[in-house]
This record gives sequence, structure tokens and C-alpha cells, in this order.
Amino acid sequence: MVLGALFLTGANFFLVWIPVLIRQTMDEVEALSDSNYDVPDSLFQTLFSSEAGIILAENSLYLLGSVALYGVLLFATRQTLIVSSRKVEFDMRNQVLEKLMKLPQRFYAKFSSGEVYVRSTEDINKVREYYGPVIMYSINTITRAGFVITMMYLVNKELMFWALIPLPLISVFAYWITGYIHKHSTIIQEQYSVLAGQAKETFSSIRLIKAYNRIDSEQVKFERLSEGYRKKKLRLDMIESLFHPALNFLIGISLIIVIWKGGAMVIEGIITIGNIAEFLIYVAYLIWPVAALGYTTNRFQRSLASWNRIEEVLDEDVEIESSSEAQSIDLKGSIEFKNVSFKYPGSEEKVINNVSFKIEAGQNVAFVGRTGSGKTTLIQLIPRLFDPVEGTILIDGIDLKSINLDELRSLIGYVPQETFLFSDTIGENIAFGVEDASKEMIEGAAEKAQVKENILDFEKKFETILGERGITLSGGQKQRTAIARALIKNPGILIFDDSLSAVDTKTEEAILKHLRSGLSGKTTIMISHRISTIKDADIIHYLKDGSIAESGTHEELLAKNGHYTSMYNKQILEEELAEI
Amino acid sequence: MSKQSFKKAVDTNLIRRLYFFIKPYRWYVVLAIGLTLSASFLGTIRPKLTQIAVDDYIANEDLQGLFEIIILLVLALIGEFILLVVNTYLTRWFGQGTLYSLRNAVFSKIQSLNVQFFDRNPIGRLITRTTSDIEALSELLSDGVVNIIGDLFRIFFILYFMFSMSWELSLVTIAVLPILFYATFWFKAKVRVAFLEVRDQIARLNSFVQEHINGMDVVQLFNREKKQLKKFEKINEDHKSAHIETIFYFSIFWPLVEVLASFAMALIVWYGGGRALMGGVTFGVLLAFIQYARQFFMPIRGLSEKFNTLQSALASSERIFNVMDTETKVEEAENPVVLRSPKGKLEFQNVWFKYNEGEGYILKDVSFVAEPGENIAIVGATGAGKTTIINILLRFYDIEKGSVKIDGTDIRELSLSDLRSHFGLVLQDNALFSGTILENITLANEEITREQVIEAAHKVEAHRFIEKLPGTYDYKLRERGASLSMGQRQLICFVRALVYNPQILILDEATSSIDSETEALVTEASERMMTGRTSIIVAHRLSTIQGADKILVMHKGEIREIGSHQELILKEDGLYKKLYELQYKEQLVS
Repeated sequence: MVLGALFLTGANFFLVWIPVLIRQTMDEVEALSDSNYDVPDSLFQTLFSSEAGIILAENSLYLLGSVALYGVLLFATRQTLIVSSRKVEFDMRNQVLEKLMKLPQRFYAKFSSGEVYVRSTEDINKVREYYGPVIMYSINTITRAGFVITMMYLVNKELMFWALIPLPLISVFAYWITGYIHKHSTIIQEQYSVLAGQAKETFSSIRLIKAYNRIDSEQVKFERLSEGYRKKKLRLDMIESLFHPALNFLIGISLIIVIWKGGAMVIEGIITIGNIAEFLIYVAYLIWPVAALGYTTNRFQRSLASWNRIEEVLDEDVEIESSSEAQSIDLKGSIEFKNVSFKYPGSEEKVINNVSFKIEAGQNVAFVGRTGSGKTTLIQLIPRLFDPVEGTILIDGIDLKSINLDELRSLIGYVPQETFLFSDTIGENIAFGVEDASKEMIEGAAEKAQVKENILDFEKKFETILGERGITLSGGQKQRTAIARALIKNPGILIFDDSLSAVDTKTEEAILKHLRSGLSGKTTIMISHRISTIKDADIIHYLKDGSIAESGTHEELLAKNGHYTSMYNKQILEEELAEI
Repeated sequence: MSKQSFKKAVDTNLIRRLYFFIKPYRWYVVLAIGLTLSASFLGTIRPKLTQIAVDDYIANEDLQGLFEIIILLVLALIGEFILLVVNTYLTRWFGQGTLYSLRNAVFSKIQSLNVQFFDRNPIGRLITRTTSDIEALSELLSDGVVNIIGDLFRIFFILYFMFSMSWELSLVTIAVLPILFYATFWFKAKVRVAFLEVRDQIARLNSFVQEHINGMDVVQLFNREKKQLKKFEKINEDHKSAHIETIFYFSIFWPLVEVLASFAMALIVWYGGGRALMGGVTFGVLLAFIQYARQFFMPIRGLSEKFNTLQSALASSERIFNVMDTETKVEEAENPVVLRSPKGKLEFQNVWFKYNEGEGYILKDVSFVAEPGENIAIVGATGAGKTTIINILLRFYDIEKGSVKIDGTDIRELSLSDLRSHFGLVLQDNALFSGTILENITLANEEITREQVIEAAHKVEAHRFIEKLPGTYDYKLRERGASLSMGQRQLICFVRALVYNPQILILDEATSSIDSETEALVTEASERMMTGRTSIIVAHRLSTIQGADKILVMHKGEIREIGSHQELILKEDGLYKKLYELQYKEQLVS
């Protein structure tokens, strides 16, 4: 950074020599021709052998030397200042992502993923723009103006005054216009999203629109938005079309003032024509840095806003952390909820309301209930994705909060409701939770989850890449891969959040069979909408509005003829309809 | 090689088609070019005037003359300013006008295409065609062409003035041009590659961040924070290196351009200085050349940049015109028959249909009749052809063999809008838009009054819940109606189907489970809707099926059984019977 600033100062120092040398050459030429210097007959002789030639060559060589040094230093500046801005950006990105990894799910429930994404990408870009170009432009403006104005001052104070008059205007103008453009670009961007949103709505409901003969009215709606977009764009265009011409105008005025005032001074004999040439170049040198000053001030404000948004993320509390006297446990696998209640941040409603139950080690427990009854929220409390608002949760009699968080999570194999796989190979995805998984371990887990055969059907087997750049798995294949990912950890507690919904009944049966034989002694918790998945559970809890409404085995619950029974009957009918 | 020449041919064709949209503005384009020409002249004459000021007035100590030439300079400057402002705005104005009509034309074209086109093309791609592809043309239409012409004029005038003052010095000045051309060429080539790499790296970095924000719970559950962070650092490192590489090229190029401009000045001073001593070149000329040397570099740089935007604009326009060239398969009848107050009889006679050539038939010899007021339920597994029957009734597709009639008239003889106006449609996905409930029901049809909407809402018991919403019928829905429950969304779709008071009702039942209270409400509502109307329902609920007048049991594109519930359960070995028995047995067990 400091080095870059030095380079830039040096570059501007040599830059100023260019007009000085041009003036010197012109003055010397003028002096020579005034002194009735005996000009050689041919141009060649004048340039290469005469006394004048030596003067010219000497000055020109100095000139070239300055130009070359200026160029090299400018190169060095860019290589230090701008490169270091990228390094700052690099560190900042790492820092932000590290923080994101630590932040609890409470944070992700509070901010939309889009918002978090903008803060960790675009906002960083904006701050980087401050570190690089803004700093470079500022130093450039200050040092260049310093040198140029000093030289002007030394040559002629009055002409300096005249030449500098329009410059502050340029700066203010650039500041104002950058702000205006930014403001209106945002408005235009919004209108653009609205326009694209309209296209999306129309195109994705085209059947409906055609069926209701609404094509013409959709066209009218779109054209109205399209017209709005055009108008907003033209408003910005109006200012933009002022920008370059006005800048051009102000530059031109500066130059004309120099010629006018300078010309008058030449006539008075105060300065030489060489001085006019010199000043014309000075003014040209100052224009862009001065315009950049306005631009950078504006940019600076915006990157400050971005920086504030990033800081908000960095300052966010990491609420769920292992307590200092965290103890390690030798897991048996009993889980107990004592009067647990929970509500999401920013919400008043209790999603879990005073729930108590106990799961013995090795038991197979199921939770059922309608969408929104709180099943997923309830089991998310076990690996401490969230902490309860009231009540305590115990594993083997120990409060979750006094267990080391990493250790707690390593004991639990969790298959989330929404299967999330990373854009990586299938093998890497399965081995996600274990260090240095062997090939055998991966294949074993895949086999237990009944997905091995599917994987072997792919050309690259376990090396097949998933996601945007790779293949897309079917819903069932995804779920089974996620199951393999949980099984490979060989966890003491296994949690399935509706993880077999996209798997057909036969495969489901095979997976369940394996779980029953291979996982005896392990605590299993399952959420399902499908009776077939859970009917053999040791105990089934029916959740309703965040509380347990019914508990018992499948047979016991059916005998009660309550919520569970009606859910069961409805499902049987639906299944058969689907089978016709 | 042949690809290259093919590309050329396409390009001229594209330009001709683009011209169609610019045509209404063609006189403005001519005007803009005229303005550019004048502006270029006024901009480049100023150094020449400087030369006159120095040589004729300052050298001769003529203050009055100097003042006059200064006035001239100011006038030229003001003139250039005005011309530039007017011209820039003018080009933007007709550019936006052209884009506006092009965008509307593309939207209209896409809307008119048949449903199949939408099944085949991801929505995202279609949105791109109507928005960002058009945007890419903006630079070509607004600034591009006129500015390129302007730059060429500028170069021409600068050369003209330079040569008119001193051809020797002109040659000396442009001696650096080959180096500039070469440097620009080298830079463009390097930077294009480097930019591609940067773009890839940005995409990689951003998608990693996006993915990990979305899957953060998985990362945390599996204790993978540290490992994923390591991965990120690697990607971040690559991203940084890619940027640093482009910085390198820029650090060479921009200083080089400045050095070249200064180098040209040095040459002018050296050679011009010598020439000045010998006479022939005056100080004024030297001054003018120093200014021209700086002016000269700008349009050359501008040209090389604009060439790139031109290329990408042409690529976009190619994609746009590909859409414009897509043919619509469902055609309007030439002399449509008008169906007045239809009774609602529907007939399928030996209908054969497939979506694409070379694929199997989706409907095989399907025949059935729905008498006016009859209530028909279609059951069958996914892919049996249930939805296809609806697609054909509304003429989203045309059938291959057989005929489909409404009140005895072939649907192909009716105009599309007339045909569709007789149907009320409720789709499986309960499509709602962002907008008020009222707008969602009327679909912006201004002929429907608020009273009609409320009346229809009463019929399906939707009024009760709508009334409770803040702003009632003016309650604004979020995208796809996310703020309402599934059942409520469905009821709104019912109101929408009813408000047009159609003779025939088509209902694709939602498969997704809704809670039992809402289900009761929905069932009751659909029964009310069906009374007095012919209705065709793709059924997923037993209550719907048992109440139907006729049940079509479909299997692999064929109708296997037709009849009422009572008739079908008596059929030996019938599909429907099997289903029913299965269900009966299960109920006994529980």
C-alpha cells in the first residue's frame, strides 16, 4: 500500500517533467531563432549535427526518459495498489465465510438467504472498490495536483489562477452526476426486476392465461411496464447525455482561458509561447484526476454503506457455542425433553409448546402430524440447530448445553427434510461428515441406503459430479444419498426428517429392514407422513399445534380412533387411488 | 471456414431484421449522423483555431484579433456541447424506442406460441429473451452505431487538419500508431481470455457461497465448517489470481497508452523544433499538434471497445430472432363459427394424439361423450393421459386423428378465444399472481364488476375468508399467493373459474394434501360449482370420484372403463372394482 503510494507519487513527479521539457525546448528554439542562429541548409543537418540538433536531441532524450520512468512507475503502482486491494478482498471473503459457518441457524432464520448472499458477495465487491481504485485515484489526484500546481505557481501565478478556475466545477459536477446516476440506476434495476417478474409470471402460467383468453391483457400489462422502464431509462439518459459533453465543455473552457490570458501575457512579454504549451498540457493532466475526485467521494460513501452491512454480519452474536466447561460423553442414546418450548426469532407464536417426553436408549421413535405442527422444529433442537426458549433437553441425563457442540453433532446422524447435496462428487457428498473415509466405508454406506446400485449405473460411479455442472439426481436418489451421508458416521442417534418421502415403498422397506437389523441398540427418531414408514416404531407421537396430542404404538393409536386413525384412513384411500 | 462465411451471411440478415425495428426512426438516425458530423468538426477545429491565434495574433501582438479568435473558440465549444448533448439524447431516445417495440414484440410472440414451447424451454430462458438479450442490444442501438460513425468522423477531421498544416509533422505524429494498434490488439486478445477466466472464477466463488448459505445447516450438523472453509480458501485464491492476472494486463496497457501519447509529443517537439528553426512550421502549428496528438488517441481506443459490444449484441439479436422465427402450430380457424349459448355437450371421437414426432401415442383411440350438465371424473396413474385430455379440449394442442366436438361443432372450427371462453379452468398448481385478490380473480378483465366477483365468491364460500383479510378483495398477494393456505388458494381459483360463468368446468384436482376442514370446504364448493354445468375433473379424491356421473378409468393412454361408480364396481375383473375391494378390505382391518 505505502509502496504503491510512493510509486504513484514518483510517477506524477516524472509526468510533470514532460510539459516542462516541452516548454524548455520551445523556448530554446525561440531563443536560437531570435539570435540569428545560422540554420543549416538541410533538415537532416539541423536535427543531427548542428548545435540546435544537440539541444533538441538532449531535451528530447530527457523527455523520453521522463516518459519511460513515468510509464514504469505507473505500472508498478497498479501492480501494488490494485493488487493489494484484491488481497484485502481475499482476506475479507475468508473472514466473512468463516463467520457465516459459525453463525447459528437463528441467524439464518432471521435473514433471508438472498440477503446473506448479497452481503457476502456484492457488498464485499463494493468495499474492494474502495480499497483499490478509490485509494489510487485519491493519491493520484493529490500528488498530481500538488506537482502541477507547484509548477504552475513557479511559472506564473496569474495564469495559474485563471487555469484553475473551472476545475472545482468539474469536481463538483462529477460528484453530483455520479450520485444521480447511481440513484437512478437503482430505480431502473428495480423496474427491470418488475419487468422480468411480469414475464416470469406470464410465461409460467401460460396455460391459465390462454384458457382465460387473457393474452391481450397480459400484453397490455407488459407493455405498460415496458413503457415505464423506457421512461425511467430515458430520465437517466438525459443526465448521462449531459455528462460527457459537459465535461468536454469544461475542459475546453479551461484550455481557451489559458490561450486567451496566456496569449495576452505573451503579447505583454511576460511569458513565452512555450509556457502556453506547458499550461495547456498541465490543464489536460489535471482534468481526469479532478473529475475522479468527485467520482471517488461518491463511491466512498457507497462502499461505506456496504462495509456497515458486512460489519453487521461480522458483529452478529454466535449464540450457540460450546460452554467452557463442556464435557465429553460416552453415549448410550437416551434423550429427554423437559417442558420444552420454542419460538422462532422475531415471532410471537410458540411453535413448540411445553413438550415433554423421554426416549430410551436404542428406541425407535416416530413423530407424525400435519404440516406446520412443529415436527421438524422439535427434532432440530436435538443437534442444537436452535436452542429452546424454555425447558431443557438431556442426552443420557446431561444437559445439551454442557456438551461440546462439535462432539454432540458428531454423535448424531441427521437426514434433513430438504435434501441438500453439494456440487461435488457423490463420494465426497457421502463422506461429508467423516475425516478420510475409505472407499469401502463410502460404498458400505451407499449399500445400506440402497443407493449403491444407482450410483454404479453412472459412468463415473462415485466420482460422478452433482449439481449445476454435473448430473441431477431424482428425488429418491437424493434422499438415499443423504441417508448414506448420515449412516457413514455410524452415529449413536439417527434422525430422519421425512427422509423417505420420495423413495418408493419397496426400497423404503429394504432401507427400514437394514436399519432394524444393523442399527439395533441405536436410537432412531423418524418423522414421516407415510404410515408405512413408522408403523413399526416403538412409540409414535402425534403432534398438533406444537404439542403432543397422542402417543402410543401403531395398534394403540388406531384403537384410540383419534387424529392418527383419521390420518391413517385417508392415506390408505389416497394410496390406492394412485395405484389404479 | 464455411462456418465463418455462414456467420457473415447471418449477420447481414440480422442487421436487416433489426432495421425493421429502427425503421420508424430512420429520419432521426439520419439527423443524429448529421449532428455527429457537425460535432466532430467543431471538436477538432479548436486546435486549428489555437494555431491561428498563436501565429496570426499573438505573434503579431494583436490583442483585438486574439479576442476575436477566442470568441470563435468559445462559440465552437458551445456549439459542440449543444450538438453532443442533443445527439446523445437523441440516439438514446430512438434506441430506447426501438428496444421498447422489440421487447413487446418478443413478449407477444412468446405468448402466442403453443404450450409445448413452454414445456420445452425453461422459463428462465424465455425471460432472458425478453429482458437481458434485449438489454444487450441497447448499447448497439443507443450508442453503438452512431458513435462509431462519430469516431470515424473525428479521426478523419483530425487527419485533415493535421495534414493541412504540415504533412511532415503529421507523418511523424502517426508514426506511433502501429505500436498503438499492435498494443491494443495484444491487450484485447489477452484480456478476453483473462476475463473469461475471471468470469468463471466469479461464478465458481459465488455459487460456492450461495450453496453454503443454503446448506449451512448440513455443514454445521456434520461438523464440516473447517474443511469447507479450506475449500473456500482455495477457490478464493484462484479467484484472486484470476483478477491479479487481468490487473497485470491493464497495468501494462494503460501506462503504455499514456507513454505512447507522450512519446508522440516528444517526437513532435523534436522534429517540429528542428523544422521551426528552418521555417515552415510555426509555434502555433506545434501547439496545435500537441493537442491533436492527445485528441487522436481517444476515438481509436473508443473504436476498439465498441467493436466488442457490437459482437455480443449481434449474438443476442440472433437468439432473439430465433424465438421470433418459431412457428405456432395451433392455428386459428379461417372463418370461425360462433357458438351462441352452448349447452355443454362434449364429444371425443376416436382421438389419437402424441406430443412429438417419433414418440409413442399419449392418447390412443379415446372416445367418450359428456352430456350437458354431466359430471365426469377421470382417474388413472401418472402418465395415463388425464391432463392431455384437458390440453386437447382447450386446444393447447391439436389432435392427430379423430375429432373433438362441443355441442356437435368441431373445436377447430371455433375461434380460440370463443372456444376457451366457454370453459372455466382450475389447474392443479392453483396458479396465483402477485396482485390483489380481485385482480387474481378477474385477471385484469375490466368487464367483470366487483359485485360479480363477490357473488361468485359467495357461491363457493370464499367470501367468508376473503372478508377477514386486511383490505378484503384488495388484499395484495405475494408471489404465487404464498401468504394464503393451500385451501384458500384453491378457493380463489374456484371463484376465478366461476366469475366468467362458463358452461363447462374443467378441474385438475390438487394432489397435495390439505387439512380435513379445508377439504370439506373445497369439496362442498366444487359440488356447488358443478351443478348445472358440464364438468370434467381429473380426480384424486375419493369423494369426487364417487359423486361423478361417469368415471373414465384411464390406463396408458386408453380408456379402460367408463361408467358410474355403481356400474363399475359390478364389473368382473375391472380395474375400478379391484381398487374398491382393496380399500374395503383395508377398512375392515382397521
